[in-house]
Amino acid sequence: MNVEWKKYDVLVIGSGGAGSHAAHAASNKGASVLVVSKDPLGVSDTKISEGLATVRESGSNDDSVETLSENIKMAGADLSIESLTNAFSQDSKLAYDKYRENGLRPTISLKSQTPKPLPLPLGGHTRRRTVGHNNSGIAFAHANWNAIVSKGEIDYKEDCWIIDIIVDKKTVIGAVAYDAQKGIILAIQCPSVIIAAGGLSTLYFPKTDTLRGNTGDSYALAVRAGADMVDMEQIQFLPFCLTSPPSYEGLLAGEPVTASFLGVLRDKNKNIILDSVFLRTRAQCSEAIMKSVEKGNGTINGGAFLDMSANKRAPKSGPYFMEYLKTSLPSAYNNVRQALSKPASQCDELWEVRPGAHYMMGGLRVNEFGASVAGELYGKVDLGVSGLFAAGQSMGGLFGANRLGSTSLTEGAVFGLRSGEAAAKNSIYNPLKLQSNDKFLKKISEIDNILVTKGKYSSSSIKKDIQKACWKNLGPIRDKKRLNKIRKLIELWKKKIKNIQIEDTLIWNQSFIEYIEVKNMIDTAEIMLFAAEERNGSIGGHVRIDCKNISMFSKPYSTVVNINNDKSFNVKRVYRNRTPLKRMLFYKVEEIKRLLEAKTIRFLPLSIKDKILEKKYKNIMENNDEMSSIYPGSPEAAIGEKTTL
Amino acid sequence: MKQNSKDILDVKIVTHKDGKDKVVEFQYRKSSINEKTMALDVLLQAQDTILPNLAFRYGCRARNCGVCTIDINNLPRIACRSVVRNGDVLKAMNTLPVLSDLVVKRDNISRQLRGKLKTNTTKNDLNVEAPKEYHELTACIECYACLEKCPMHEKNSHDLKPNYEKEYKWGNPFTLLKLQTVILDPLTSKDDVKYSINSAIDFGLEECLDCPGCKCGVGIDLKGKVIKPLVEKSGLLR
Ligand SMILES: Cc1cc2nc3c(=O)[nH]c(=O)nc-3n(C[C@H](O)[C@H](O)[C@H](O)COP(=O)(O)OP(=O)(O)OC[C@H]3O[C@@H](n4cnc5c(N)ncnc54)[C@H](O)[C@@H]3O)c2cc1C
Ligand code: SF4
Ligand code: SF4
Ligand code: FES
Repeated sequence: MNVEWKKYDVLVIGSGGAGSHAAHAASNKGASVLVVSKDPLGVSDTKISEGLATVRESGSNDDSVETLSENIKMAGADLSIESLTNAFSQDSKLAYDKYRENGLRPTISLKSQTPKPLPLPLGGHTRRRTVGHNNSGIAFAHANWNAIVSKGEIDYKEDCWIIDIIVDKKTVIGAVAYDAQKGIILAIQCPSVIIAAGGLSTLYFPKTDTLRGNTGDSYALAVRAGADMVDMEQIQFLPFCLTSPPSYEGLLAGEPVTASFLGVLRDKNKNIILDSVFLRTRAQCSEAIMKSVEKGNGTINGGAFLDMSANKRAPKSGPYFMEYLKTSLPSAYNNVRQALSKPASQCDELWEVRPGAHYMMGGLRVNEFGASVAGELYGKVDLGVSGLFAAGQSMGGLFGANRLGSTSLTEGAVFGLRSGEAAAKNSIYNPLKLQSNDKFLKKISEIDNILVTKGKYSSSSIKKDIQKACWKNLGPIRDKKRLNKIRKLIELWKKKIKNIQIEDTLIWNQSFIEYIEVKNMIDTAEIMLFAAEERNGSIGGHVRIDCKNISMFSKPYSTVVNINNDKSFNVKRVYRNRTPLKRMLFYKVEEIKRLLEAKTIRFLPLSIKDKILEKKYKNIMENNDEMSSIYPGSPEAAIGEKTTL
Repeated sequence: MKQNSKDILDVKIVTHKDGKDKVVEFQYRKSSINEKTMALDVLLQAQDTILPNLAFRYGCRARNCGVCTIDINNLPRIACRSVVRNGDVLKAMNTLPVLSDLVVKRDNISRQLRGKLKTNTTKNDLNVEAPKEYHELTACIECYACLEKCPMHEKNSHDLKPNYEKEYKWGNPFTLLKLQTVILDPLTSKDDVKYSINSAIDFGLEECLDCPGCKCGVGIDLKGKVIKPLVEKSGLLR
């Protein structure tokens, strides 16, 4: 393949929320910037998201950096790194304003003169601070698109796959990419690379609600560049995704909170497997479903039934519930209406649901400026890969074992801006001193060798195998046997991709594209495997059915995975600080109180129950002077102190 | 297992490699007789079976990301949410250059607006609400279905071969929508409103005067909310 050489100060991989903010910030600092994106400009998880963003102090005056930071850390089971949670909390307003400068226009609260938050805090947030938007993530995508296109100073390439980052003596010197439009290899020489290439949920397709391109590229590129990866066993599964028909499989049906006061989960024999669903975390619901499947009580498509009929049946509060269900997560309800039967969408029949992969909490190990770090405890920049940065879902260490709702869009902007500025600075102080092109040429000749492979396997069929196997063995429940199985399969897949069939075309060579992505999926699965083996106990998004839960009172640790010179993987633990006992007990007691209240309501006689619930719904829907319709959104992780629904 | 003919859909997929079209007959197997098959389901199954290297775009499977647009029987459709019937022909969009199979080159459209979108208003108070129409326009998922039969865009047709750095001279409904969004934004200065109208004129707004109007893939009222206000503001009607 022909090679085109390019020189830039900063290369940004990805054009979602993180990538476009990084590019914008680096360009504003005077750096020459190239954005490379395999999907069309702005097409990303950011674009298809629900569009809920955390903006500190949008809902109350008593919100603070400390409170927000503590909420994240508590949800993350103390794996979150304080310098990251603080950076997030500090910059959340500023980052949101950047979105607004590029055209995001929220509703403004007349009283407080701030973007108007949802009437309730999402689960785990102890303050109201989640702002919803017209057109959900699409509105964010327009702003991201504008950030890259409008000034005309940022160069960009779409339909272009970064294949590898080129590193010399632990220092970034550039990257190589496949430009599918032109059918050439791009050799990009640059002293700073920002990875903003999103997540890995395509490893579980079709059991996921995320974008097709989430093939783990962020993590595979980083680990091959020699970077440390943190918390890679921690993946968030959404509990209530659709199981059929095929065109809807994996798409979101609802969240714990939309199950409302009387929603319960049942197994195939209609026995209750989890009550008070609305107060549970995503992780708890997913775990309950998968454990019931494991016992042989799963539904036809390997899930459980979400039963909300009790909400509906109550004569007075029932109509309120239906209104609440339809308006709280409009796109999810839309999926249900299209995919399921009419009685089901009216909640007279049960919904068959199953967890779907959603978000990778782990990722590149970074400091508060998104720079790669390594070493003990919180790591040091000097020990990381110099010139390598990450932002958005690709980075790890911020959310630990569980992510709070509405925090990821903010994460992308906060760390996009921070890493963009830091990368621009790095390029000014440490310009490229290229002695030779050897490292690039070596990579390019490797690629040329792959391009003439005429083996017997097709990458797209290996992809399917990986997806099936990851769901079964590296998915929402894990044990030693399953992990051993994945280890064997990884070895097999590695052999197979040496023997694949590549077409002869240059322009948009689908078989080569599949190859690039499959290779990343295999490397990513291996990183996750090492992390999952090291953590021999359940915590957050990592459920081991063969081990005990890790106690919240034990010394918290994170897993760190990296690669050796001989391409084998290493794993170790790094220890974290625990939240003071008193604070933890406070959170725990609040949670138990809410669960007790919910249970009591469920067992009251119907007429009394109905009255209480009617009052509660009215409270959310009418007494909120600012909201015309309710929109509580989705709680993830732990339950909010003030969430009385 | 022998398949009942009711479980099968006969579909034609037009592939395109190295500049040549080829019609492939494909028998899609439904998972049940009642299945409402979407065009994307057909493409995914074809890739799983007889066409492992079939190239097509998709992302969200839920009509949000806007990249899966193809022509079904020569009209642009969003593949993940368009039901397929016996005999349907699936092909790349005819309004943009084809790279491979059902994949078209899209970025010449965005490149038109490089340096021409006057956003970034740091100096203003950001706590200002946008009018309802603004949000009607940001519902655009950038699917490019509106390029179909747009006479303004058709003027680029001699450029429809894949070409890389060159930008399209003439605009299209999407370009005009982006400009109108800037105009509707209360944070845009008067000068920038004027600049945006002039850009619309440069892109060929005159073409809209005797055009029956454009259609949006997700139902945005382009004629009423984009073309009409632009034409009115442009002074072209005099
Ligand atoms: C259905 C859904 C709803 C959600 N709702 C919310 C919500 O309401 N609030 C919230 O805070 N979060 C939400 N999330 C999570 C959130 O949307 C994502 O975590 C976040 O947008 C990730 O942003 P990012 O910039 O890191 O990555 P992405 O937005 O995914 O962008 C990744 C980019 O990298 C590019 N890329 C990938 N690999 C390569 C490669 N090899 N070469 C070149 N380019 C590459 C892609 O093309 C893409 O442009 C939701 C997610 C989903 C799926
Ligand atoms: S009204 Fe204008 S933009 Fe719309 S199709 Fe006609 S010429 Fe194109
Ligand atoms: S205006 Fe409508 S048809 Fe055109 S790109 Fe946007 S959503 Fe698609
Ligand atoms: S796949 Fe996203 S719109 Fe069709």
